Amino acid sequence: MILMNYIVSFFLLALGMYCIVTKYNLVKTVIGLSIMDYGVNLLIISIGFNPGGTAPIFTWGELTPSSFFVDPIPQALTLTSIVIGACVTAMSLALVMKLQESYGTLDTREIRRLRG
Amino acid sequence: MKDGIRVQNVIVPCGADVIVPLALVYICYIITHGHLSPGGGFQGGVLVAAVVALIALGYGYEAASGTISFGLVHHGEGLASVVYVALALLGVACGAQFCENVLYRAGSVGDLYSSGTILWMNLTVGVKVFTGISSVSLLMLSVLQNADAEREGRK
Amino acid sequence: MNWLNILSYRHFPIYAIMVLFLGAFLIVLFGRNRWARHILAFLSVASSLAFLIALVRPVMLGGEIIAYWMGGRVPAGGYAIGIALEVDALSLFFGLLIATAVFVACLYSFRYMEHDDNIPQYYTLFLMLAGGVLGLVLSGDLFNMFIMVEILTFAAVALTAFRNTANGALEAAFKYLVVGSIGSSCILAGTILLYAQVHTLNFAQLSALIPGGLNNATKVAFALLFVGFCTKAFLVPFHPLAADAHGAAPASISVLISGVLTKSGLYGIIRLVYFLFQSMGLGTIQFMLVFVGSVSMFVCVTMALAQHDFKRLLAFHSISQIGYVLSAAGLATALGISAGLYHAMNHTLFKGLLFLTAGAVLHKTGTTDLGKLGGLSKKMPHTTVLFLIGAASISGIPPFNGFASKWMIYQATYQKAVESGNIGFLLVTIIALITSVLTLASFVKVTQSVFFGRLPAAYENVTEVPFGMRFAMGIFAALCVVTGLFPDYVTRWLTEPAARAVFSVGQYINDMMGAGYAESVMGGLAPAQQTVSFVHVGVWSPVSWLLVLCIMLLAVTLAAVLGKYDRVSENAGEKVPGKYDLFFGGEESVYSQVGGGDLFWGFKHNWRHYFRFMYDLHSGVVNDYALWAVVALSLAVVFLQIVL
Repeated sequence: MILMNYIVSFFLLALGMYCIVTKYNLVKTVIGLSIMDYGVNLLIISIGFNPGGTAPIFTWGELTPSSFFVDPIPQALTLTSIVIGACVTAMSLALVMKLQESYGTLDTREIRRLRG
Repeated sequence: MKDGIRVQNVIVPCGADVIVPLALVYICYIITHGHLSPGGGFQGGVLVAAVVALIALGYGYEAASGTISFGLVHHGEGLASVVYVALALLGVACGAQFCENVLYRAGSVGDLYSSGTILWMNLTVGVKVFTGISSVSLLMLSVLQNADAEREGRK
Repeated sequence: MNWLNILSYRHFPIYAIMVLFLGAFLIVLFGRNRWARHILAFLSVASSLAFLIALVRPVMLGGEIIAYWMGGRVPAGGYAIGIALEVDALSLFFGLLIATAVFVACLYSFRYMEHDDNIPQYYTLFLMLAGGVLGLVLSGDLFNMFIMVEILTFAAVALTAFRNTANGALEAAFKYLVVGSIGSSCILAGTILLYAQVHTLNFAQLSALIPGGLNNATKVAFALLFVGFCTKAFLVPFHPLAADAHGAAPASISVLISGVLTKSGLYGIIRLVYFLFQSMGLGTIQFMLVFVGSVSMFVCVTMALAQHDFKRLLAFHSISQIGYVLSAAGLATALGISAGLYHAMNHTLFKGLLFLTAGAVLHKTGTTDLGKLGGLSKKMPHTTVLFLIGAASISGIPPFNGFASKWMIYQATYQKAVESGNIGFLLVTIIALITSVLTLASFVKVTQSVFFGRLPAAYENVTEVPFGMRFAMGIFAALCVVTGLFPDYVTRWLTEPAARAVFSVGQYINDMMGAGYAESVMGGLAPAQQTVSFVHVGVWSPVSWLLVLCIMLLAVTLAAVLGKYDRVSENAGEKVPGKYDLFFGGEESVYSQVGGGDLFWGFKHNWRHYFRFMYDLHSGVVNDYALWAVVALSLAVVFLQIVL
């Protein structure tokens, strides 16, 4: 329950959307996509926090009903989401490389053969 | 990049010489101890991308692609995926649900060889992520190398 | 090897998904050999379809819900601790639709993609797309649905850009990736906000716990999830992606994007409003769905009238039909849901058929520009007949399936207007009728431009497409005719169980979490199970219309064959030049092809300001499309905060 984390994560989401909407360079659009993903990852990992909890790693006999640990599920979700974010970045950068080859420019205002 | 200046790359290959073996041992530790401590196949596999990038930075693209042959990596990825699905279907074959841990009696808790199918699935996922990420890195580096070679050729 | 367990039908959902993924991975290993590829792909899609057909008897006819916990992790202490698949009649309905479309598209791609390179990657991505969509509709866990959404987005983007050198393929793929990723991030953010409230990701448990305690966070989550799934279904602010992606992708992939991906978005929206938030009793939520649906219907059909490219025009019509489905599903009556699902099924069938014929035309002539094509019926007669079946279906002409489902939609909206006294639903009926007329006009234009008229000299050597492609198109055409002739059977066996499942939230939750859970947690269930009761009036019975059509065809054929017109001049040996030609004012008339842009020029002239405004609005810049997405998201967040 960390308020600053939540505020920052929604700010990153908004910043990523602002980047995609207003920047006219393809690479900046890809950076905006990545910032949005990082904002959601921060939100996921902050939700699992229990103040005063330990790491959820136990061997046999250490786990008692009175152990208080942070939630392990959001940590697994965050890892999955980080890898998905990396794949989105990789695929979009590959498309940007091919677009640069075939259109000769990285300006989104020029890459508009499909319109109407 | 000014023309006519040749940079002698000394620091990065020396650093790569020292770091790459240590990093590979550490990555193997992370992948095999996935069921005992934080880590696992996913995380260890992604770290391999850093190793591939380090080799490419220090020794150039030809050395990196010579170290990891692309065909082996491509087929290794498919093989690891098929083995993962086979392990998951093992649960159905032994009378339980899909993806169930049917070897849970192997070893005792806290040992390295314990926790049944989780260990094998961890290793398989580690191989798959390692091969997948390194093939993507090698493909993208090859494009950069072609662009560099073109620029060299045009000069 | 416990054979009784392996072949029990409880495992069939997971087999249907896994056999597609396993086929994709095996093609990575053995893909170089052409026969291995074709056999593996065919076996995967055929066995997936077979597993789902085998589930029809227990799930649809028997009313059972299969709740499958992976890893054997059944709920402990009233809490869900595992990942589940849940197959009820709604999931199985969409699953059958998806498996059929994937099967036919796979058969078509065997001959269609022969001349491309990198074909093993094509089949791998194709099977992963199919596995991802099937995993989405059969899943019972919200995060699992997000993962499947990501898998299908990546596969669809990669397949759109598959033919790198096609006009605009890379650009379409990039725009799809950007706006699609915004949608996926919204779905993930919504999922996490819901997790933070109740610390569970299981769909049934969420449906039990969320509707009781709606606070600001869950309202924002509703808006985020709704906008995310609308992105996947390509509804109105996100429709330019569909137009670009369908036009640039290979035809078998256009079938999947228009027939399968949009259905997955619709499935998500139906699950969201009927199950997860159970908010369809509120008039304002019904208004939201019906509004988005009606705007999609109308805007996309008017955009389609101004297009010059065959596949782009079909893409806009596709989104317009999805607008029909959403308007019908937003009515919250049993007849409305049933009509919407029936139209969703018909849309996959006839839109798939139309895209496959467009692909056949592209395969043989190399272009899809309406201004350059013409007169192809002489060279490609089978394709013309199949296209005419598809065009008649989408326009709603009686013996074909479009008529049955559109009639049900008009009836559903009119009944809702009468029951609730709200004049707005009558407006929806009128918009639906106008859209249907404009659709018919648009397809008359396309038929005239592409298949009738004069054959340009460049296409003299065009022949008919190979038998494999015609067989695949024939399967879709046969299904179009069958589902149109027997709407009673289709309703009784397919759409009515699915519509009944939409209203049985209590049974859904109890089968997953254990009996009695829903009553104990929710303190009383929502009213379940309204049955659909309507009759097809005799004079509109489709079989009688088919008889009328057959008699008319027979009469025209007899008149053309037996009538003696024009035999005289042909037997005369040589034609006297110029004697029988048309003269206008003393000059010989020249054939003028009524091409793509010219057929309804009076209508388009009167509406020229609207068409110019829409053309300028769809500017093709990715920033504009992202801006529309952000504006839609903000409007949804504000609207749902106020309304719920």
